[in-house]
Amino acid sequence: MASQRLPNYLLTYRKRAALSQEEVAYLLGSQSGSKVSRYELFAREPGLQTALAYEAIFQRPVSELFPGLYEKIQSVVRARAKKLQQKGFRGKGRGFTARKRETLAAILSGEFEKRQQTS
Amino acid sequence: MTSLRSQNIRVLGIAPSSRGFGFAVMEGENDLVDWGVKAVKGNKNARSLSNVRNLIAHYRPDVIALEAIRIKGSRRSSRVQALIREIVAMAGEENIKVKRFSRKQLNVAFLGKARGTKHAVAESLATRFSDQLSFRLPPKRRVWMSEGYQMDIFDAVALAEHCLRSGKEG
Repeated sequence: MASQRLPNYLLTYRKRAALSQEEVAYLLGSQSGSKVSRYELFAREPGLQTALAYEAIFQRPVSELFPGLYEKIQSVVRARAKKLQQKGFRGKGRGFTARKRETLAAILSGEFEKRQQTS
Repeated sequence: MTSLRSQNIRVLGIAPSSRGFGFAVMEGENDLVDWGVKAVKGNKNARSLSNVRNLIAHYRPDVIALEAIRIKGSRRSSRVQALIREIVAMAGEENIKVKRFSRKQLNVAFLGKARGTKHAVAESLATRFSDQLSFRLPPKRRVWMSEGYQMDIFDAVALAEHCLRSGKEG
């Protein structure tokens, strides 16, 4: 039995860092801690700028701070990659098509993600 | 700092006390997701239950770990015993499994012997989860001192951790 990951772990990392919601809000450049509270209660999803600010604050990649959201997006992307693979390719040459095929296979197997993490 | 990437069972440990209750949410043996104390006033059981309901709604735990109160020697007050029964009933309504552990079981698990103090268990947990808990460890209680309110957190973490370690969630 395995639980679904939570949409984000912002509260966990904030508590580990011993920061208050107001302090995180200040670091994010927000007016008050209420926005931070809404992110932590999964009532609101932060924009890209805020997500990257969170990465800078907690020193963790965005995919680790938002694993539930990341997994959801990843499965949608994988479904699209599968469709694209089934469509076939019209490349500019054999090498080009082979590279595309490799990329899509990597997305589907999770290799792409692993490569990004190690690089 | 431990990574939170592993996909595992989510356990909510609840340790009711005279002030309210301590809680801890764990995913797998190594990931402490949330922890804290909910202090309540007035109708303590009703308010505690409402807080527990909010935690369940937010974290959707697979298992709730509680202290065993039916065993001989349990010195929990009748109010706390009633609260634990109400939490068990709520878990039943939400289809969440409940696991109960006695203090003796926790002492054996964390100290290797049946007899021991809550502070000794808390110290071992503060060492294990140093990032999260070391700065919340209350000073060792002397005879004339009342128990630090943060001790409820350590009780809840001990319940959740032991539930995951014992692998009896199934």
